[in-house]
Amino acid sequence: MSDPSEPVPGLKQRKVFKIIVLGDSGVGKTCLTFRFCEGQFLDKSEATIGVDFRERTIRISNEDIKLQLWDTAGQERFRKSMVQHYYRNVHAVVIVYDVTKPETFHSIASWMQEVESHGLLGSPRVLVGNKCDCGTPESRLATSYAQRLADKYGMPLFETSALLDSECDNVESIFMTLAHKLYSKQPLRVVSVEGERGPRLVTLPRQKRSNTSTDSCLCS
Amino acid sequence: MESHNPDGETGDKCDINGDCSPISNKDTVSFNHTKNIDDISTPSELKFDEDFEFEDPDVTEKRNELERCLKNPDLINLEQWQNFAKSKAGLISDEYRRQIWPLLVGVTEDEMTDPPSLDDLSKHSEYHQVVMDVNRSLKRFPPGIPYEQRVALQDQLTVLILRVIMKYPHLKYYQGYHDVAITLLLVCGERASFPLLCRLSYGPGAPLAPFMQATLQPTQHLLNYVFPVIRRADDRLADCLDKAGVGTMFALPWYLTWFGHSLNRYADVVRLYDYFLCAPPLFPVYVTAALVLHRAPDVLQCDCDMAMMHCLLSRLPDDLPFEDILVTAKKLYEENDPTDLEAEVNALEKREEEQRKLDQERMKRRQAGRVAPRGGGWLGALPAALRRPAGRRAALALTAALFAIYVYYRPELFRNREDSPDL
Repeated sequence: MSDPSEPVPGLKQRKVFKIIVLGDSGVGKTCLTFRFCEGQFLDKSEATIGVDFRERTIRISNEDIKLQLWDTAGQERFRKSMVQHYYRNVHAVVIVYDVTKPETFHSIASWMQEVESHGLLGSPRVLVGNKCDCGTPESRLATSYAQRLADKYGMPLFETSALLDSECDNVESIFMTLAHKLYSKQPLRVVSVEGERGPRLVTLPRQKRSNTSTDSCLCS
Repeated sequence: MESHNPDGETGDKCDINGDCSPISNKDTVSFNHTKNIDDISTPSELKFDEDFEFEDPDVTEKRNELERCLKNPDLINLEQWQNFAKSKAGLISDEYRRQIWPLLVGVTEDEMTDPPSLDDLSKHSEYHQVVMDVNRSLKRFPPGIPYEQRVALQDQLTVLILRVIMKYPHLKYYQGYHDVAITLLLVCGERASFPLLCRLSYGPGAPLAPFMQATLQPTQHLLNYVFPVIRRADDRLADCLDKAGVGTMFALPWYLTWFGHSLNRYADVVRLYDYFLCAPPLFPVYVTAALVLHRAPDVLQCDCDMAMMHCLLSRLPDDLPFEDILVTAKKLYEENDPTDLEAEVNALEKREEEQRKLDQERMKRRQAGRVAPRGGGWLGALPAALRRPAGRRAALALTAALFAIYVYYRPELFRNREDSPDL
């Protein structure tokens, strides 16, 4: 289970939020994190072996926050033993599926089990349907269907494309939503930053089809 | 040796000694660096063959000797081939590798059979995963390769992988296996690479066999040998890695793909394969140790933080002196036989297991804490209102008031106790 208050050695001046990105093989986890951290589409991405790491510094309320994105291998065999180590001190979770591949959506249940087994159900989580630029509208998984599952798990749903520049803002808001959630709940237990004032009011950036029930969970 | 000539139709595809990445693409600083194929595909790429102009005289001499040996390969024994493969510059060129790699692994001409068609294999349960990984392996192909040729090679790669896992159904495909397969395919062609890959995947001492078990536990165990090897060579460095808790994940793709996945330069990859094909199965772990030792100054300067350290180590610079690293690795292997390290590895794993249990307990306490916010214990038995700080303050005030009233009405009870201390 995560604890944002744990000091990170060597990084005491800055808040660090650790976000793990999960989902089946080939849904676009690497491209999504690359888009957020580098601002562009990773043209020829490769299979991730083990765990990759990317980071970006963002600014919330005049404070620099480091977002560490841990991009994991999708193949199941990597989850069982090796990736375990990297769940330690995770603050938030992104679960990705491919809107053109229903089987990747149906695996969400098992990813949720995984999240639960690491005690992360209380952490901010978002569900991301990627590749909404692909296929025909009929071939893509219906948003209402995905929204129902997102509601069931109490997570906001984002539909996006790591490929399209026009969707760049949306990719941005996925991670910014998490960052704001973490930031807003963090001052209550922060120890690593001096001169901290109380919790602030946070305005969330554009977010597709979020609903009230999800908020109560994210803030828990 | 005729029997080891590559299959004719792919022969032209095997003359690929290109350097798979621009030299200028140094990535020592950028944490988010991912190799970009667009940089690679420029026709101005350095070709491995161009290095001949500056060839070391020792290497030229070795080249001549190799050519002499290949004229009468039956007169050369395995040990002599191994010496060529291990010593400086390895087997030098893919032209020689194509003939010698099968000999190093003991593959015969009878085993080199024509592959089945892709359609026959598409029903396999791993088919989609393999195709997905193969389709994303563009970076591993030589720069400037024509589209049709690349697609044909990718189909061959899919067939090659599926053939092996169908021949040995208990072996599980892993992401990274395709990186090994493609290296063999590019060098030896599809007919020779099938028995080669079989030999590497199955049988006693097959180096890839531990990676293909049901879980990655055996791989994790073998990778753990890297820490005792480093500790014996450089205590301070080992402390630093230990303190950061960096784990072994940074080296996982190195080990699983024999560095094929992680190195930009094709020439480096095939050079390492020369050695690994005739080295003990655990040797890549010693190369990992040698590589980390080589980068000790960077590691010691790095923030003592798991993420930063993982980042630094997992991104390999393009200018690593692999000949020196191989020499160091060999020395490390000779001085620290795996059997001597077992106790240290077991101790390390015991510590990790304890840490894992602690983490799990901590997590359980937190989960319990969410049900009863102040976390179990005697407080758990209190009514919910009392578990909240405000509730508790109210309860305390109420108790104090009741006590005061009680004392007011029954003062004699307290006075008696004070009056008779000698009871």
